[in-house]
Amino acid sequence: MGKGSGIKVIVSMIGLDSHTTGGEVVSMALRDAGFEVVYLGTKQTAEMVVNAAIQEDADVIGISSDASNYLQIEELLDLVRKNDLSDVLVVCSGNISMPQIEKLTAKGLAKAFSPESAGDEIVDYLASNTRSRHVASMGQAKCIV
Amino acid sequence: MVRATDYGYEIKAVYSPEDIPGFDYQKDLGDPGSFPYTRGNHNQGYRSRMWTQRMTAGLGSSSDANKVLKKYREMGQTGGMCVISDRVFSDCIDPDHPLGRREAGVLGWPGCSLLEFEELMEGIPLTGQSITLLGSSAPSSLRLAYVVALAEKRGINPQEIHGGVMESPFENYFGQTDVQPFDINLKLFLDASEYVLRNKIRMRACIISQHFQESGGNNAQALAIELSMLKELCGLLVNERGLDFDTVSQLPYELVSIGTRFFEEIAKVRALRRMWAKMAKEHFNAKKDKSCQLLIAVHTSGRTMTYQQPLNNIVRCAVQTLAGAIVGCTALDNATMDNAIAEPSPLAARMSLNTQHIIAAETGAADVVDPLAGSYFVECLTNKVEEEGYKILRTIDEMGGMIAAIKKGYIQQLLREEAAIKFRALDKKERLVVGVNHLVIPEEEEFAIPIQELHAGDSEAIAKRMAEWKKTRDMPAVTKTLRQLHADAGKGDRFNLMPSIIEAVKAYATVGEIMGVIRKARGLSYDPFNVIDCPYELQ
Repeated sequence: MGKGSGIKVIVSMIGLDSHTTGGEVVSMALRDAGFEVVYLGTKQTAEMVVNAAIQEDADVIGISSDASNYLQIEELLDLVRKNDLSDVLVVCSGNISMPQIEKLTAKGLAKAFSPESAGDEIVDYLASNTRSRHVASMGQAKCIV
Repeated sequence: MVRATDYGYEIKAVYSPEDIPGFDYQKDLGDPGSFPYTRGNHNQGYRSRMWTQRMTAGLGSSSDANKVLKKYREMGQTGGMCVISDRVFSDCIDPDHPLGRREAGVLGWPGCSLLEFEELMEGIPLTGQSITLLGSSAPSSLRLAYVVALAEKRGINPQEIHGGVMESPFENYFGQTDVQPFDINLKLFLDASEYVLRNKIRMRACIISQHFQESGGNNAQALAIELSMLKELCGLLVNERGLDFDTVSQLPYELVSIGTRFFEEIAKVRALRRMWAKMAKEHFNAKKDKSCQLLIAVHTSGRTMTYQQPLNNIVRCAVQTLAGAIVGCTALDNATMDNAIAEPSPLAARMSLNTQHIIAAETGAADVVDPLAGSYFVECLTNKVEEEGYKILRTIDEMGGMIAAIKKGYIQQLLREEAAIKFRALDKKERLVVGVNHLVIPEEEEFAIPIQELHAGDSEAIAKRMAEWKKTRDMPAVTKTLRQLHADAGKGDRFNLMPSIIEAVKAYATVGEIMGVIRKARGLSYDPFNVIDCPYELQ
């Protein structure tokens, strides 16, 4: 049983960002640690990511970002709140400056990992900070438009 | 800590003549300017032509990027300009597209129409410096059309302009995906390439291994990828477009990534020149010496720029720039100290450009051609990386070439595995990076550097301007040229679309419209994201 056993993580890019390596490598590290990873890939909107989190009953949303799409991460955080998904941990990693991290944190971002974060650091953080698995059924999940 | 190259060759403590058995100066190196060009393409090196020292520009509106280009010229960047497109233009949608309006001008230049190129180039000459426009492959034909159209407006013969505006169609598979299907990218790349070669326009096509390496690929893999891309694309231009190889050989330039492992990077580029020279002669039967000389541009590695202690990146950038200078490049542009944090700030850009100026003017590295030739270590590394590169190249050849290898998923798998190896090597401290997994300092001791802030409103302003401006165009002309393009795009892959793209560009049709029409003629949706419909009656 890995540290991530029983924890489901959505990993996604957002907007037009197409630098896929970071998201793919982190997905691999999480899977190695026993997490269940749903990798959405590129060209996702905030709505698509949140819908996937609802449908998958995910515990974590992880956004891989390359120096550009903070506005869309902010939109994602707004949607997470609007859909009562406050127990879903939202984290991101990539080229994100401190002023942007502060803005995102104010909107509910749990953690921004720097680009060279160690796999163990990410694994340990998610394993320790993810909600206890809740018993919400798919029927209770809200669909957003 | 491992002492090995990134492709797994164990490095020894000492090198001697035994490490280069059978070394034959004429056969293996030759003088600079002589086959196999291991030592460089010019016998006088930088004394006959200094490398183009440039910084890549592109952020905010076209007018913003224009100001930056002018500033760079003041800072000594007069040999050539380099502008990178934003993701909106790279994905061939317009800033007023619902998905475009959030990212217009964010990570590059929002070049969706000739209007934007005119504003970008206001007060900047098209000649006397190289014009380099980067972005993804699909809009290569648009970038070329902008240059041709603006030259006509300024009364300049396009043959007097030089630079590079096309990009190879393979980057899509190197960790930087775009939304256009490969077959469209390839067709338009070949169209643009054929157009410049037949019309004697000195616009080069960028064959990029930089993305491959920045996404994790190792040096030997990079060589194999570079050679197989060149082989495939030059082969198509010769065999399918009926061009002579000695003409085609003047099209590509290779954009390589240079990291911090100094000697290995120098060996890689020397091996690349030698491998191309042999391929040109033996595979393509090159008749001219010039056809065996591969033009190489260097980008210092953004991947190696760390988030932690960003001032350390100035040192990394200097080491990489020195390596780039020593390999004998035609142009060099740098990553910046803030690369891992944000888009380049003016301070970071100046620092990087000055790094080049210092190396060019103060170190003496530009005085002597290929100064490390004959070093047992460097010659051994050159042989080793070439040997490993050839092994991978043979595998790709056996699969039927680069396109076949991509269709089989071989290249993608190679890159995925290598990216994972590199990640694990850092995790396990097999490779040390100061400030990241070695000699880490507490967060409170970090030195804050200026950050280039992004403003959400800027993208929306670019989008709104585009939406309003579109209405002011000569719509009958836009419609007429788009209909012609649509008709031509249905005439098969060998029918060159450049003339009709140029006409549409001159009528100020946008990238979203031009690519949308081409997509429709090929049975695809107008909008790659399926959000908007084609606003034109095309039949």
